[in-house]
Amino acid sequence: MKGSLWAWIIQRISAVLLLVFVAVHFGIMHFVDPTVEITFIDSSLRLKNTLYVIVDSGLLTLGLFHGLNGIRAIINDYWPRAGRTASYVLTVIGIVACGWGSTALFHFLNAK
Amino acid sequence: MKREVRVYADLKPRYFRTGMWSHLLHRLSGVAITLFLLLHIWEITSVTRGGSAGFDRTMGSLASKVFVIGEWFLFLALTFHGINGVRLVLHDLGWGVRKQKALFWTVFGLSAALITVGSYFFVMRFLAYPWVKAH
Repeated sequence: MKGSLWAWIIQRISAVLLLVFVAVHFGIMHFVDPTVEITFIDSSLRLKNTLYVIVDSGLLTLGLFHGLNGIRAIINDYWPRAGRTASYVLTVIGIVACGWGSTALFHFLNAK
Repeated sequence: MKREVRVYADLKPRYFRTGMWSHLLHRLSGVAITLFLLLHIWEITSVTRGGSAGFDRTMGSLASKVFVIGEWFLFLALTFHGINGVRLVLHDLGWGVRKQKALFWTVFGLSAALITVGSYFFVMRFLAYPWVKAH
């Protein structure tokens, strides 16, 4: 199977997973107590729960893939000649952003 | 066997029909959410730069009316993109392709309903926070 077809399928699978993850994340952060301020203590307590770790790392990895792959599709539509270069650039952005976001996640997980 | 396929699409916005507007709206909301995600990573990684105090300071400065308005726009984008995305995945599986226009308006109605209900929480948040956070 060609890479572009894999990208198409993973885009759909990540879409379905992100729907669940975003609903959980956005619901808890905005609808449970809409006036509460986010603090380090609360966030690290939340991340003691494995479910939050799964949701947050899922949002980071799948969200970045889905978003950047979507931008790749737009570039392919309007500027196909730049498609290949754009793919490389977007891959690097994705890996860097994922690594960068992970440092924050690990910081919380290592907090006492 | 050759089958004629006629595509009623024009890339000029003045000739857009419902399908093209939904396509454009899906892409615009997608790009906006992706840009937000990158900003969100930058904002959350403040914990690695200033520790727990730095994180609380960043989150505190974001707890203002201006950012609540921004979060509300994010809510609009996520709601539409998510519900319309369900329609697109179903169409990809071959379901409802011939009813796509009616289903788009269903998506539009569901999004409007969810946004109306959800906006209540954003009003609560908006009223609770100051315009500018004093340190």
